[in-house]
Amino acid sequence: MGNLSRLFVRASSFFSKEIFEILRQPRLIATLVLGPFLILLLFGIGYRNEAPVLRTVFVVPAGSPLETEIEKYASDLGEQLDYRGATTDLEGALAQLKRGEIDLVAVAPFDAYSTIRYEGEQAVFTLYHNEIDPLQADYVRYFGKIYIDEVNRRILRAITERGQEQSISISQRAASARQNSAAMRDALARGDVVAARDYQRAFERDLYQLETDTNTTIELLDNVDATLGGDADNSTEAVRSGLQQIRDNQAQLGLAGDSNFDSDAQISTATQIEAELATLESSVADLEAIDSRVLVSPFRSETQSVAPATLLAQYFAPAVIVLLLQHLAVTFGALTMVRERQLGTVELFRVSPISPAEVLVGKYAGYLLFGGVVAAILTAVMVSGYQLPLSGLGSLIGTDTLTLGLGVPMGGNWLYFSAVVFALLFASVGLGFVISLIVDTDSQAVQYAMIVLLSSVFFSGVFLRLETLLSYVRAVSWSLPATYAVQLLQTIMLRGQAPSVRLLATLFGMGVLFYLVAWLLLGRQMRYQAD
Amino acid sequence: MATERSDVRSSSAEIDIHAAKLTKQFGDQYAVKDVSFDIPRGKIFGFIGPSGSGKTTAVRLLTGIYPPTAGTARVLGVEPMNFTQHLREEIGYMPQLFALYPDLTVWENLNFVASLYGMNFVTRRKRLRELLEFVELDKDRRKLARSISGGMQRRLTLAATLAHDPRLLFLDEPTAGIDPVLRRKFWDHFKTLQDSGRTLFVTTQYVGEAAYCDYVGVMTRGQLVLVETPQGLRKRAYGGELVDIVFKDSVSERRHLQPLQQFDFVQKQLPRAVQRTGRHNARIVVDDAGAALPALMKWFGDQEIEIENIEEHVPPFDDVFVEIVSKAEAEMDAAEANHG
Repeated sequence: MGNLSRLFVRASSFFSKEIFEILRQPRLIATLVLGPFLILLLFGIGYRNEAPVLRTVFVVPAGSPLETEIEKYASDLGEQLDYRGATTDLEGALAQLKRGEIDLVAVAPFDAYSTIRYEGEQAVFTLYHNEIDPLQADYVRYFGKIYIDEVNRRILRAITERGQEQSISISQRAASARQNSAAMRDALARGDVVAARDYQRAFERDLYQLETDTNTTIELLDNVDATLGGDADNSTEAVRSGLQQIRDNQAQLGLAGDSNFDSDAQISTATQIEAELATLESSVADLEAIDSRVLVSPFRSETQSVAPATLLAQYFAPAVIVLLLQHLAVTFGALTMVRERQLGTVELFRVSPISPAEVLVGKYAGYLLFGGVVAAILTAVMVSGYQLPLSGLGSLIGTDTLTLGLGVPMGGNWLYFSAVVFALLFASVGLGFVISLIVDTDSQAVQYAMIVLLSSVFFSGVFLRLETLLSYVRAVSWSLPATYAVQLLQTIMLRGQAPSVRLLATLFGMGVLFYLVAWLLLGRQMRYQAD
Repeated sequence: MATERSDVRSSSAEIDIHAAKLTKQFGDQYAVKDVSFDIPRGKIFGFIGPSGSGKTTAVRLLTGIYPPTAGTARVLGVEPMNFTQHLREEIGYMPQLFALYPDLTVWENLNFVASLYGMNFVTRRKRLRELLEFVELDKDRRKLARSISGGMQRRLTLAATLAHDPRLLFLDEPTAGIDPVLRRKFWDHFKTLQDSGRTLFVTTQYVGEAAYCDYVGVMTRGQLVLVETPQGLRKRAYGGELVDIVFKDSVSERRHLQPLQQFDFVQKQLPRAVQRTGRHNARIVVDDAGAALPALMKWFGDQEIEIENIEEHVPPFDDVFVEIVSKAEAEMDAAEANHG
């Protein structure tokens, strides 16, 4: 028999041995695969991606104008604020907070008006919470900022609405001016000079009032235009130029019925003024049409994604596949040589013709095959979304169909997917082997495997984005196979794109590196037994 | 008794195992010290010694599991640390403890070891069946190794060692925990292997098994006390062969014992070459019992000394072993005391 076939036979001895041994340990498989899978599944089902609702009591100083207004403001501020009443008793509210009966105490400023009007400072709403979780404390701070911004907006809106109410009086004033002008024109046509002059005086009062009232509103709108880069030819400029035109015509009109003026010309000018007032009314109506909310909050956002839409559970699915496969491969790898040493079989290998490379190749092949089968089953469960009709049974449990699988989208190429899974298993088994060759006992091996799993949960970008970590901590991330595989599988499965060649090559390179280290360590251990 | 290099080869024999001042030290402790011997091809070499005497360490040195601290060893002409892959295929090693996989069946374990030695799938099957029959495990081949008895595990280990039909076998206590009938069967098989040219290096605590060996090495406290043939072992233990005499009368020092000192075949250099062992009994140490017996009978007849019985005494190997080890350890203690 040739050397090559002997090599194949020797390596295959470990392949079949590992497979048989794994299959004889169903509990171990259940613990390693099913256990973490069920935990992650329960997390996926039970996790609510919603901001928590805060039970809030407002403390308002006695006699404050807010005392009557607070409920109106607070009760509909947003879904995350559960209004639990207002009180003047700060100590009582804080006691409730400490007992955990409420989540937040919001203390309104004592004399907000004086602070703002005379001291020129912002009045402070103080928020008390009872959180020990730094993330939750940050949320309360963020929550406070959002809701105080909302209160500020509401106050601005009230001011703006008052401005708009003023603009309503402008349009009434313009209508009144137009009516007086028309009455003046009729009186001139009848030759009733006295009546014409009465109407002219009334018209001039209306016009003066109209100019005064309009200036404030126009200035507000001019500021909006200047800030947002609006077109000056529009509403405010139309109103301003309309008023100027009316003023010019009014000067041209002279005194109604004066013998120095041509009566027909005065009638014609009055007609022109009426037309200009009608145009002014229309321009003022444009100003009124702008919603106060739009003026106060001129912008809002709408988000659209160029990536395919995914549910939260689906987003985590590739990461779950990666974590489970890495943990499985690392644990089996970590236990393998420790067990050989404990059983004393390494002594047999030293005397036998098998080489360290043959041992590794045989064991790798066994674990890669097993890992591949587990990967196929996991992926089938994740990707499948088959609706099983339940017919009669469905009425008992209140549904017509049972969905088998999580329905995770698989937008990419299965070949790429398989390449990533292979590289992940290759690197993870190698990492496990290295662990196995540096530890002394199986409990140490399991502990190291758990450390790898824990590191992966925190540092591989499964739950926390890598950008949130300091650069030197990210070095830990990039030393874990899971970091590469999570990004690669998310790209393939969720984005439907080809994986990054650089990431895939690095993951595979990591596997080669682990293999070489394992080969050197095993070679040393198989060469002779340390004293 | 000083440790001595034992050369048991005939001038033409090829040497399969050679050790020269082989030493293994763990910290300050010597597990094996200055062990030297040569084992010719086709012989059974028994390595006997009390528990902890260094037998297993010696086997591990010879198989390349341990590197020696000092001295050299050559197995099939090569130092164990430099065994080639091809040479390893020529060697079979049976460790002292069960070193197979409890979660595999008897057959799977055997199959695994055969694969380790590169045996192809076709020829392996027949060979493994024969071996299972030999170790009487053919009916248990589907049982998990963890669920068979210690003796069965020992048999399985032996079958695994023989799987690739090696030409040199290191068997570390192969018969430990085996019933006497099967133990006998094992030794018969070892003899068969020897007949087909195999060399066997066998360690054992069963001193009686020395009788099956061509040569026996006695180890104690890491030192090889002597290497001898089983017969030679007895001679070395007592200084010669033993002749037991039963007199009709009570034994008289002057009439019966002192005159025996005159014979050349009596090992007079020994302090107790002629000794009284009972009221009517005496034992003498002679160099050759076969030659001494007729001479003694003639002399008793001439002297009209009536005897009830005279015969060669063949002491059991247990006694021989105890005698040798006790003497060796006493000498070691004395040497140590002198050194100190």
